[in-house]
Amino acid sequence: MSATTQAAVQIVIGGLLQGSLFALVALGFALVFRMTGVINLSQGAFCVLGALVCYSLQETLHLPVPLAILGSVLAALLFGLALGAAVFVPALSRLPNSSMLMLTAGLLTFTQGLMLVHWGGDPYALRPLSGEAPVQILGVRVPSQGFWIAATAAIVIAAFWYLFARTTLGKALQASAENPTAARLMGIDVERMAVMSFGLAAGIGALGGIMVAPILAVQFDTSQFFTISGFISVAIGGMGSFVGAVVGGLVLGVAEQLAAGYISGLFSSALALGLLLVTLLWKPSGLFAIGRARRSDVREELHVHPAIVRLRGRGAVGLGVAALAVILALPLLVRDPGLMGSLVITGILFIGVLGLDVLMGFAGQVSLGQGGFMAIGGYVAAILATTYGWPPLIGIALGCAASLVCALLLSLATVQLRGHYLALATLAFGLVVDSLDVGMMETTGGPSGLVGIPSFAIAGFSFDSDRSMYYLVVAIIVVLVLALIGGMRGAFGRALMAIRADRLAAGALGINVARVKMAAFAISAVLASLAGSLYAFYFHYLSPEMVGTQRSFEMITMLVIGGEGTLVGPLLGVGLLTLLPTLVQSLALYKILAEGLLLVLAFSFLPEGMFGGLARLAARCRERRAPALATGFQPRKEVP
Amino acid sequence: MSELALEVKGLTKTFGGLRAVDGVSFEIPAGSLSALIGPNGSGKTTLFNLITNLYRADAGEVRLFGAAMAEAGDWRIAVSGVVRTFQTARVFPGMTALENVLAGAHRHVRSAAWQQMLWLGGARDEERALAAQAEALLELVGLAPFRDTAATDLPMGAQKLLEVVRALMAKPRLLLLDEPAAGLNDGETAELALLLRAVRDSGVTLLVVEHNMSLVMGVADEVIVLDAGAVVARGSPAEIQRNPRVIEAYIGQVEAAR
Repeated sequence: MSATTQAAVQIVIGGLLQGSLFALVALGFALVFRMTGVINLSQGAFCVLGALVCYSLQETLHLPVPLAILGSVLAALLFGLALGAAVFVPALSRLPNSSMLMLTAGLLTFTQGLMLVHWGGDPYALRPLSGEAPVQILGVRVPSQGFWIAATAAIVIAAFWYLFARTTLGKALQASAENPTAARLMGIDVERMAVMSFGLAAGIGALGGIMVAPILAVQFDTSQFFTISGFISVAIGGMGSFVGAVVGGLVLGVAEQLAAGYISGLFSSALALGLLLVTLLWKPSGLFAIGRARRSDVREELHVHPAIVRLRGRGAVGLGVAALAVILALPLLVRDPGLMGSLVITGILFIGVLGLDVLMGFAGQVSLGQGGFMAIGGYVAAILATTYGWPPLIGIALGCAASLVCALLLSLATVQLRGHYLALATLAFGLVVDSLDVGMMETTGGPSGLVGIPSFAIAGFSFDSDRSMYYLVVAIIVVLVLALIGGMRGAFGRALMAIRADRLAAGALGINVARVKMAAFAISAVLASLAGSLYAFYFHYLSPEMVGTQRSFEMITMLVIGGEGTLVGPLLGVGLLTLLPTLVQSLALYKILAEGLLLVLAFSFLPEGMFGGLARLAARCRERRAPALATGFQPRKEVP
Repeated sequence: MSELALEVKGLTKTFGGLRAVDGVSFEIPAGSLSALIGPNGSGKTTLFNLITNLYRADAGEVRLFGAAMAEAGDWRIAVSGVVRTFQTARVFPGMTALENVLAGAHRHVRSAAWQQMLWLGGARDEERALAAQAEALLELVGLAPFRDTAATDLPMGAQKLLEVVRALMAKPRLLLLDEPAAGLNDGETAELALLLRAVRDSGVTLLVVEHNMSLVMGVADEVIVLDAGAVVARGSPAEIQRNPRVIEAYIGQVEAAR
């Protein structure tokens, strides 16, 4: 065998092994999706959780390996059952699908936060099950752990087949997936089946994580990699199809290894995104679509979005002016430079969250890649200003243009599809940008970041103090908020709200759903890009994790706990999550945990967010006087 | 001969083995009020979905005011002036009654999003004019007191009316109503009849799917009867009431069910 063939065989075998892992994660995805119709983003966290628990059982409690594996799979299973029973399944009957997706993002963040608190941010590797020595086959060396991965995948697949084809429990699961109402009438506890599938998926994920941990060291945020790989596998294979999950996983594994082997490791995540987009364009339902007829004139989403509480009229204008006065006066009151810095960051992040609000709060679309657009804006502006000495304003404009192009490409590929493909494409996009930030060492400075970025300057005036930057950001925010209020009160805003509420009915009134969605996505991407640029100019430094996927999730949390669809409400969420860690330094380690927990709690107890809660409270206090509160935007006359 | 608002030729749609619509042909002259009746499952709603491009036909052709639009997206149908309502009221949740009606005007809005964002005078004048029209329409059907109520908080009958008003706000040339009287009480149904006649008299062509026979017989110029996916009869309300095939296919069934 020649050296090139040998290399090719090596790569394909490596790909099949990696693919077996993806297949395991994808099976968990497919199971939960089939049972509940929800894409469970927390799936990847269970993989890492399994591996980390297994590590502790082996290294700290010194349990024998088989017991440690059994124990950690059980632990993940129980943890999954608990999350499923306490949070996920109860929410199914209350939240629309887009909120469910964000809820699972919250569960992912929460679980990652837990792991960060207990295991810290270091990578962990398990000992290989059968020694370090690789095995020779066909003249190539394969790590022996690879056979364990493949064997585990094969056993899980066989067990799946047996469960669904041969057991009563499998039939009950199947029935609940196909027709929950009929299953309920047959005496099947559909909710219990959903909880079980969630727990089972967690257990399978944990098993995958444990098997791969000897060759791929895992840390708390490897979860995102598992989640996106598993999701792309099921999307390629066909959502909800078990065969599709396995085939999709293998295809993705081989494709990634080929790209890494022949092009560059840098591009393997970009390739995964490309593969996803191509599949979606060519065969939107995946290779093994499970046919389920749906009447297209019946509302797609069982649970519609709740009404959004918005302030209106003179009261709103008065409150707005009062709030602005306080915001303008803040720098005169704040003496602590750390706090002042946090106020600037609050403002900058709020610009990005504003964009997210247009997309999510109004148009009802989810973006998990807001950090990716911040990164584009940040790096483009920073590199142009630092390396080439271009004026900051031009850098910001070019960053926005680059983000706009990416946003249009992403939405062109996904806009015609139902479901939350845009959301998942944005997640994949964010991870691609992450890996490019890290990988393009010469231009971005790699993981250690880009240093020496100048301050924002315009016409010779440099915004190099906290205070000048603060007022600049406030001015930008005032302009943006006024523009968005204008846009959202008019036909454009109504079109956005209409497609969020009912896509088909909106189309029947002549609203071009695809175009309106694209416009909303473009606005969100440009605002994120602007925020990213300002962030870089303010910090004089930019590193990948400042604008990474964790940031995307954080911005979703800020939006939801602040109050979706209210434009100004999210400021409360941004302020809370930015200022708290500054005021209470010891909280820093718990930040991710708190963000996940707050997002989950907000969905459970305060779906209208802090702004909505306060507005409701205010209305209750002066109920006897003229009602100043209504759901929805109000007629033009009352606002100047 | 007057212009045709709608021509349907040999339209066929099968779901699996079921021929939901089976070679249906008819035409609706502009300015008329036609009713489409037939027992449950006879293909009425499927026909609406085919006309508005929610479904792709297996065979046959639809012409709207002479134009074939089989390839166009559903929103283009509405932009061309053909607006429909749905069998179950599909008001927009999360929006007030007034906002729902205003959303109907979407195809007429001239000012662009950026003009609204800049608070330009022209855009605001247009919004004010639209709001006045929407309030007048709400007034017409007695929903004016509920203009700021969340649409989904209204009773079902009011939601159905709101949906009709929203469609009217789009100033359609051809209005397709899917069971507008479902969920209305007798008084509301009588008002709906008046409204439909007034709409017809203002020059709008209407095609109404309806089960309420007194409404159909009271307002329709022509009645088309569908059974098992095929047209079994058409004619004036009086002719239809005497037609033995109709009595067998439809009215006979209703009698038997009672």
